[in-house]
Amino acid sequence: MKQIMTTNLKQAISNVLELMFFVSVQVMEDENPSSEKPLNGQPCIGATLAFSGPLSGSYYLLIPQEMAREITANFLGLDDDEVSGNQAQDTVKEALNMIGGHMLSLTEEPDNFQLGIPAIIPELDADPGAYSGSRENAIFIKAGSYRMIAGIELS
Amino acid sequence: MAFNVLIVDDSSTMRAVIKKTIKVSGFNVGQFLEAGDGEQALDVLKDEWVDLVLSDINMPNMNGLELIGRMHADEIMRTIPVVMVTTEAGDDKVKQSKALGAVGYIKKPFQPQDIKNTLCRIMGEEIVDETDHDDEFETGDF
Repeated sequence: MKQIMTTNLKQAISNVLELMFFVSVQVMEDENPSSEKPLNGQPCIGATLAFSGPLSGSYYLLIPQEMAREITANFLGLDDDEVSGNQAQDTVKEALNMIGGHMLSLTEEPDNFQLGIPAIIPELDADPGAYSGSRENAIFIKAGSYRMIAGIELS
Repeated sequence: MAFNVLIVDDSSTMRAVIKKTIKVSGFNVGQFLEAGDGEQALDVLKDEWVDLVLSDINMPNMNGLELIGRMHADEIMRTIPVVMVTTEAGDDKVKQSKALGAVGYIKKPFQPQDIKNTLCRIMGEEIVDETDHDDEFETGDF
């Protein structure tokens, strides 16, 4: 089941980022999730979103701050330097919200799942690698010159 | 005819995107109003003339389903059409929102033409289909 959810998560990330954010993405299947600097040491914004149902847990999404500003600017029709930190965080949360909802819609029984409300992961400013590197089945995604990380954690 | 549209979503970014998407779609809007949850939406509805409400379902404080229920209990507010804009994966909450009085739904992610078509159908405006559709994402009235 987790493998199916992971496959659906990859599909949802691709669909949402391409349709809503005009970002073409590529899942890096052979990337080592425990690498020391999974986002090339870039500061990032991370969000988490709880779900419950036949399986319960949470999704997470880590995006470099610079990329978050770019996609927020695209999303809102602003210049990069007009985007505030709060707007960039809000965009990452909303992206994860759409990804989570779309991912569950790809499961066989979407009505059996409930989504929570996305929240920012506060400790990421300090060490994004520590967050993703300790987790199994992290998905590495390439988007232009940036890399993102997403994953599912079951509780 | 220009319509006053109230957008209810706890994400300020999503409110801005919905506003921008409606503008791009060409749907005729007089004034955009915004609220961050159901409670704020009720305050706006008490004070402002609103022709149409677009509301998220999953919000803190008062969610979209509670908002429709509260609107339905009010003689004037119950006449205002409500369209749900949601990330909900299944149909249960969409059906609940219909039972409570919502007249349509748009699932995120969406495209401008999807919003325009839904709003035009609900408000009785002529629909001009200008873009290709991606049928993978769901929108519509009930």
